[in-house]
Amino acid sequence: MATTPAAPASAAPTITLHHVNAMPAPTWHRLRVNETDVELPADLRAEPDVQVEAPQALLGEPGAFEAALKRMEEHLESTGELPPAAVRPRGGAAGEPSASSGAAAGQADGGARSDDAAKGPEEDPALDLPALSAFQAASAAVEASGSLERAFETGMGPEAFAYLREAAGEPVVIATAPGQQGARAAVRVRGVDGAASAAAVDVVAAEGSEVSVSIALDSPEPGAGAVGCSLRVFAGRDARVSIASTQTLDPAWIALDDAGLMLDERARVDVRHTVLGAGRSCTGLAGDLRGEEAKAAVDTRYLGTGERALDFNYELRHHGPKTESAMNANGVLAGASSKTLRGTIDFVRGCKGANGQEVETVLIADERADNRTVPVILCGEDDVAGNHGATIGHVRSEQLLYLASRGLSPEAAEQLFLRATLEEAALTAPDDATRAGVARLGRALLDDFEEEIA
Amino acid sequence: MADENTINQAPGTGAQPLLSVQNLTASADGTTILRGVDLAVGAGETHVVMGPNGAGKSTLGHVVMGDAAYDVEEGSVVFDGRDVTDLSPDKRSRAGLFLSFQAPVEIPGVPVSSFLRAAAAGRAGVGDLKGKQFRKRVRELADELDMDPAYLDRELGVGFSGGEKKKLEMLQLLLLEPKLAILDETDSGLDVDALGVVSRGIDAYRRAADGALVIITHNTRILEHLHVDRVHVMVRGRMVAEGDASLVARIDEHGFEQFEQAAPDAAPGERAEETPVAAAC
Repeated sequence: MATTPAAPASAAPTITLHHVNAMPAPTWHRLRVNETDVELPADLRAEPDVQVEAPQALLGEPGAFEAALKRMEEHLESTGELPPAAVRPRGGAAGEPSASSGAAAGQADGGARSDDAAKGPEEDPALDLPALSAFQAASAAVEASGSLERAFETGMGPEAFAYLREAAGEPVVIATAPGQQGARAAVRVRGVDGAASAAAVDVVAAEGSEVSVSIALDSPEPGAGAVGCSLRVFAGRDARVSIASTQTLDPAWIALDDAGLMLDERARVDVRHTVLGAGRSCTGLAGDLRGEEAKAAVDTRYLGTGERALDFNYELRHHGPKTESAMNANGVLAGASSKTLRGTIDFVRGCKGANGQEVETVLIADERADNRTVPVILCGEDDVAGNHGATIGHVRSEQLLYLASRGLSPEAAEQLFLRATLEEAALTAPDDATRAGVARLGRALLDDFEEEIA
Repeated sequence: MADENTINQAPGTGAQPLLSVQNLTASADGTTILRGVDLAVGAGETHVVMGPNGAGKSTLGHVVMGDAAYDVEEGSVVFDGRDVTDLSPDKRSRAGLFLSFQAPVEIPGVPVSSFLRAAAAGRAGVGDLKGKQFRKRVRELADELDMDPAYLDRELGVGFSGGEKKKLEMLQLLLLEPKLAILDETDSGLDVDALGVVSRGIDAYRRAADGALVIITHNTRILEHLHVDRVHVMVRGRMVAEGDASLVARIDEHGFEQFEQAAPDAAPGERAEETPVAAAC
């Protein structure tokens, strides 16, 4: 783990996770939104408080995820969609940036994408290649490697992945049998005062199976520390995976929610991120739509209050033909909260007929709130359709007048925006425990919250 | 024309009017729009404000509601015995005033159900209903207005047709039961069916709350099934005529030309503005 001590003279010592939620193609240097660093108290001990609710038969063995990747890789080799291992360039060959890709599957090589990418094509001995950007070179190297393990990545990047996996210890493995339907599991991670409490979760959905997993990051007891989840999802051919992650931490906590997806042919993965609390919250997701006609949809709901800082990074990479992706984010920023959301759709050469879209709607309920939305579409294939859109705005005067004409003062209007987000989260919570976490946050922010959703 | 300019007292009762607008002069961005407007509405009465485009009718509704886009330069608005001229719109609403908007806004991210609960909170009666009781009441009203209950779970106004937006205005009217409601062109752009629903909503409001109404309209069709107490005609920011319900038929037959010819011209630099400033921005 490549963390760096960062201890100002007068402050408590901290460690820093670098290059967290880094955009794959960092082009927005001037706006300082390419990535973020996360400071954590240096003395946080690893103490996971993780509850898992799942039938025993659904719990698999560690290594199931890597094995599934390997099987898929072998299948793609057999169909000619990946070059045979014997002819692939070796990972780490001279001039080949190791890139961010692969750190999450091969685990903790610690290479930060920005540093690695910075090596650039000038070190590449293949001088007959056209000049490439750092991103293009790193990406090309991963593609040329033909290794799914190297290609697999998570949204928060290698350092955060390594930190979470180390803090979590042995992963929880949820593995379906081929064709299994209606499988459900719940993972609840609770904050432990003075500790990093994290879960490592691998979901391996076998061919034609269906599984729903809910993940809750919660702090039912007072305290401070880090709470996180490192999730890897393998969705086999024709499998359907549904992930609902809900973060309801009190402001004293730091949230780290990291995920990576690999989708085989016609697999579908739906992810819902509901991010309501934590003083500092980082959410990252990277998805590899490798198989033909695979589909991934990410629906994000967030709420910023007080001085909370929210940071998101989504990357959906289309490899397979006719793949489809959708990112939809909807949030409210109140108080002096801040939010950065990066959304990248990457159409890799060969994904003919792919379609990706990303949309964000942000309602800024307070002049002090700070919003940054960074949609990016990378296109290496011509026969694709990519769209992005964002509706970002302060509450307009006519909207405030309308609300006022119904008896809502400006303060009541702001409360309405918060209440609406929290009520929706409570009503759509996947289980009672998650709903209780939302209700606890709601009670802290609003009068009569629980009564109104009864 | 009978009773012309007799507008400072609720007619026939001699009682203090519920709403008393006196010599109201208001402007937006330095341009005078309303000029010395008087209007008195008694409790339970139905008044109609008519006039050609640009007369200032919608502005009157917005100024009475307290829209900060307009500056009140002169005059007063007294409601229920209290001078509300300097009161914010939310306090006027809580005092019992209601404005149905000509173009209701959309607010993404706010479900209709959450908005309705916030609007009702703290009010006598409906504000006391909790959780399921409140939802039941809202659904009853939606049924009464032929409104698909699915709209209650949608974001406020987002993707609503013009008719659905007006139905939602009516639903709020019935839910909040204000003492006085100003309906600003509530009938505009509605088909026959939707117009019927709005008329039913107005009837239901009158029955349930015995509330007063100020109906701003071009269209006399919405008035066909209503008992109208007084009709006021505005031209170029001034009230130029007032009469009983028979005035509606006269306007229907002859239009506003007679009133426009009789009205004093605006002074240089003055104008009457039909579209509220906020909506025009």
